[in-house]
Amino acid sequence: MLSRVASNLFWIARNVERAESSARVLKTRLINALETSEAGPLAEGDWEMILDICAVSSEYYDIHPVCEAEKIARYICFDRTNINSIINCMENARNNARSVREVIPEDLWEILNEHHLSMQNENVDTWSMQRIHEYLRDIQKLSFSLQGVIEASMLREEAYNFIKVGKWMERGEKTARVLNVVSEKTKELKLQTETDHYYYWLSALQFLNGYDAYLKRFPPKMEPAQVISFLISYEQFPRSIEYCMEHVRETVMKLESGQVSHYSEELFDAMDHVTQEFMKIKFRKLGMDEIGPFLDKFQNDCNRISSIFARTYYFV
Amino acid sequence: MLKNYPSSSFYDEMVAESSKVRPHYEKFYRILQKLADDELLEKHETAQLSFLRQGITFTVYHEDGGTERTMPFDFIPIIIPAEDWEKIEAGIKQRVKALNYFLEDIYNEKKILKDGVVPRDLIENNQYYYEQQAGGLNLPHRNHIYLAGIDLIRDGNGVYRVLEDNLRNPSGLSYVFQNRFVMRKVFPEFFLEHDIRTLEHQFSHLYQALLNHVPANSLSPDNPTAVLLTPGMYNSAYYDHVFLAQQMGIEMVEGQDLLVKNDIVYMKTMRGLQRVDIIYRRIDDDFLDPEEFRDDSALGVPGLMEACRKDNAVVVNGVGNGVADDKAVYAYVPEMIRYYLGEDPLIPNVDTYFLSDKASREDVLSRLEELVVKNVGASGGYDMLIGPQSTSEQIEIFKEKILENPAQYIAQPTIQLSRAPAFQQERFYPCHVDLRVFAVGCDHIHVLPGGLSRVALKEGSLVVNSSQGGGGKDTWVLREGAENNA
Repeated sequence: MLSRVASNLFWIARNVERAESSARVLKTRLINALETSEAGPLAEGDWEMILDICAVSSEYYDIHPVCEAEKIARYICFDRTNINSIINCMENARNNARSVREVIPEDLWEILNEHHLSMQNENVDTWSMQRIHEYLRDIQKLSFSLQGVIEASMLREEAYNFIKVGKWMERGEKTARVLNVVSEKTKELKLQTETDHYYYWLSALQFLNGYDAYLKRFPPKMEPAQVISFLISYEQFPRSIEYCMEHVRETVMKLESGQVSHYSEELFDAMDHVTQEFMKIKFRKLGMDEIGPFLDKFQNDCNRISSIFARTYYFV
Repeated sequence: MLKNYPSSSFYDEMVAESSKVRPHYEKFYRILQKLADDELLEKHETAQLSFLRQGITFTVYHEDGGTERTMPFDFIPIIIPAEDWEKIEAGIKQRVKALNYFLEDIYNEKKILKDGVVPRDLIENNQYYYEQQAGGLNLPHRNHIYLAGIDLIRDGNGVYRVLEDNLRNPSGLSYVFQNRFVMRKVFPEFFLEHDIRTLEHQFSHLYQALLNHVPANSLSPDNPTAVLLTPGMYNSAYYDHVFLAQQMGIEMVEGQDLLVKNDIVYMKTMRGLQRVDIIYRRIDDDFLDPEEFRDDSALGVPGLMEACRKDNAVVVNGVGNGVADDKAVYAYVPEMIRYYLGEDPLIPNVDTYFLSDKASREDVLSRLEELVVKNVGASGGYDMLIGPQSTSEQIEIFKEKILENPAQYIAQPTIQLSRAPAFQQERFYPCHVDLRVFAVGCDHIHVLPGGLSRVALKEGSLVVNSSQGGGGKDTWVLREGAENNA
């Protein structure tokens, strides 16, 4: 397979996954904001957290002087200058798909293309918040449909494996990002108020679609340490970092027919390294002070795997 | 349906004089009349949507960038009786064969120039003549034309004439197949009762012919690696490229995916470099190889031409084919047929006047309002004057253009494009059509049954190009004896 094709397949998955997770995070926040209907510095800080998860907050402040729910929602959904806006991710995914149309299922292309066509006739500036809610739900559904097409119709060969690596990598990194932002946030607040901010850990679970799953496994008490270990290394939860990294590894193994060759050695080494780090922390409770550095390091390791992966298969 | 259908001096594909339907359209007409108006409208819309959903689009360029558009589809097919098709097929084969001899000749011995049949000037000063790059190449089967698209029209008497040869990168083949596909899906009732030449298996011809262009130094001559080289998804014919690569099962590559090392062409795969033998390029000559053509080309592959010269790779269609489908050289094709084949042309040209010739120029300038003027280097319907449909200012502008650069223009009588009914905006009206016939060749020439019927959907318009609002129709070639059952 051409390297360019492999790279586009990888990015179709990453872009769709990124759009889906931004949609979920934003939707969760919009609903929570309604329920608490708070205002003031607390709410502003909570919105900034959303920016940190889905975008780069400093870039937002370059355009907008204040944190404001609607402005942030529009920035995350539709702003063309925000490279990670949902609309940009979907447009990129369609372009990725368009340039490899001959190797992907027709349905995969048609779903992305239909979405593109439907958005073309819309003037999103006039959309109400209600309409934006619908849009966020549609994006999530779109991602589910695309995953369904991939699972139901693609041959289990190279193209499929590149799509899967893209998806698991994006997912793992996003979970680390959410954890990082939330633990920063609670640390800050703890200094001010000396309480465990249970509410933020609940949000973290919701951002990652893990709230229901968590409740099934653990008593309905938000013990931060338990939430953290659930999101990092609960092997049954499909967005835990461990689950995602395990699947990246498994898929790369399939691409390499189970063998480590000289050109893939570096990639396997990098993945082994992350696994070892996991093993180290898995069976002992991390102190709150250790979490930040661990997650920082983990995010760096992920970026490293991502760039070694690209190099191994000659992505440009 | 044809109650208010106007008749005129143009030949009509479906309707003869006094509003009588031609025999080979009778069955189609009978079935059509059974469909209610709202049914027709619904089917018409289903067909348009089907193209859009599948993203079967071309890109139109304007100041703000490109817009993807679908080619409008019109469901009234062009039906060609078997005996007419037989003549077309023979005429196309003859023409492509002669053009191929011509290309081989002018890039090698130049006999036709020495014998004075084609003026030397016209070739050697031609902007598409790439003697330096393409001269003396050792092409497999001496073939320059892998895929040709020959545009035919019918004059007032219904006689087929060649309007234009396309020997570089003729596009539209995907539409031939998609028009048929959509037509079958939306109007199955027509197909039950008609015996039409099928389009299946055409790709095995295309594929086999492509693989026959094996370079002399290929390491695997029995199983060569062929790729389709596309300029990428912003190219107006990108869907055509996707479709061809998909149907032939060959890799579609961009310039950045290829690399020439020691005069051997490789593609960059996830497992490293893989040798490539045959490159079906859909990139213009100018952008093919920055070392030998435009050095600012980011689409091309540096060193590609040298690899061809060393017989390590073959590029099809041949480099420098543009010199043979130029609008001025066009006028000499009948002479080429006589010169190389010793035969009379089976399909005549449209009369063409050279404006570099003083007497013709004066004659043409005196009656611009009844002629069509074309820039010999332009395509896609650009830089052209259609006299009868132009204002006096437009005519004045062209007069100046011609006087400024007479060799750049040719004139032809206003072409008598035939017409056929089209169903658009909920009614039937006559539209002008032409027919692009595709021929695929290597050691022999195969003509695809039918082709792409292009239709000028703007009422009265003579421009069928998709970039200027033209649409497409399905083209049916009836099987031998089929119309007897009508």
